[in-house]
Amino acid sequence: MAYKPQYGPGQTHVAENRRKQMNPEHKLAKLREVSDKDVTLVMGHRAPGSAYKSAHPPLSEQQEPACPVRKLVTATDGAKAGDRIRYIQFTDSMYNAPCQPYQRSYLESYRFRGIDPGTLSGRQIVECRERDLEKYAKELVGTELFDAALTGIRGCTVHGHSLRLDENGMMFDMLQRFVIDQKTGIIKYVKDQVGVPLDAEVKVGKAQDAKWLKANTTMFHSVCGTGFRDDAEYVEYIQRIHSLRVKYGFMPKEA
Amino acid sequence: MTEATFPQCRIIPERFLNPETTERLLNRVISVPGILRMVLNGPRLPATVTYGPAKGLANPHTMRQKIQVGDQELELQVHVGTVLLEIESRDVIPALQAAIEPVFTDFTFRIQEGRFMKTEPSLVDYCKYGPDADKTMLGLADPNSKSRPIIIQGNK
Repeated sequence: MAYKPQYGPGQTHVAENRRKQMNPEHKLAKLREVSDKDVTLVMGHRAPGSAYKSAHPPLSEQQEPACPVRKLVTATDGAKAGDRIRYIQFTDSMYNAPCQPYQRSYLESYRFRGIDPGTLSGRQIVECRERDLEKYAKELVGTELFDAALTGIRGCTVHGHSLRLDENGMMFDMLQRFVIDQKTGIIKYVKDQVGVPLDAEVKVGKAQDAKWLKANTTMFHSVCGTGFRDDAEYVEYIQRIHSLRVKYGFMPKEA
Repeated sequence: MTEATFPQCRIIPERFLNPETTERLLNRVISVPGILRMVLNGPRLPATVTYGPAKGLANPHTMRQKIQVGDQELELQVHVGTVLLEIESRDVIPALQAAIEPVFTDFTFRIQEGRFMKTEPSLVDYCKYGPDADKTMLGLADPNSKSRPIIIQGNK
């Protein structure tokens, strides 16, 4: 029988959402249209339309050593062209954001190639070749993994993940990179991810409503969503991992 | 002179407050007799970007605005999340609760009683103010900053 990955434990819809996002066969629902130019603008690594800067000559112009792994693994477009490594970083609110740092790293590892994700408690960074990054970033921003109010594209000054939301339902941002238009409810980026003002605003659409967020979140939250302790299977799994790790700390000897 | 026996409480709204709501809330708070000291707590909103590639650039923020509280104008330096209060007696709390309830129409709040403000000088306070520090001023402003507490006329 062929192996079928389980992706993760859990009986609640939060666990199911996690599995869905990690499964590369599940097509992520597209919720907003953000153009290539807009994604490039928000990331701020290069001017839209300008040439990609390179870190080394294209692979086709290089003398590569005879290596069986290089024959097995096809280089990504960015690696073939010798692009620089660039990054995008996200902050996700604890209040039912559709994705969260560990989840991001898991799903990116399942879905994308040639990436280096870095996970922290309130933010997650993914690094890769520039033109690959732009392709991946468009998917990360345009699909169900992103909410305009509860997910922030923030290269620095990321604080906000664990803070209460403001009266408009937006996650705190010291640099206020994205603002809500009170009349239309549309949220737009006015600064790039490191806080440099943009020449043109980038609209990322309206925030999702509370019902959608609750149904599609991958974050356990006992006050505003589904509590972690409501998921007996998840608790059992985490306790098993915890127990095994503690026991291994004492180097047990098998009889 | 602040006595350590004065009770303290704090107002915790469910959401961070917009400047207009903060102004409405504080004007209601100061209408209650018996409030001695007050601190607005929350994450800071600096006027310039403090670090990162954009360091030094202006940081326009819609939550950093001037508000009018009583007869004083003050510029918010934080996105208000909690209001700490020192009060004359515990009897003030029900009056405070009744006064501020109309402000919170779209979301909830609660008032907690406890000890939240500084009552004794820390080492930094000692360096800045010396041995005879005015205890009413302790904890109201960062000793390293040049800003001073704002005094709002009492109504007693």
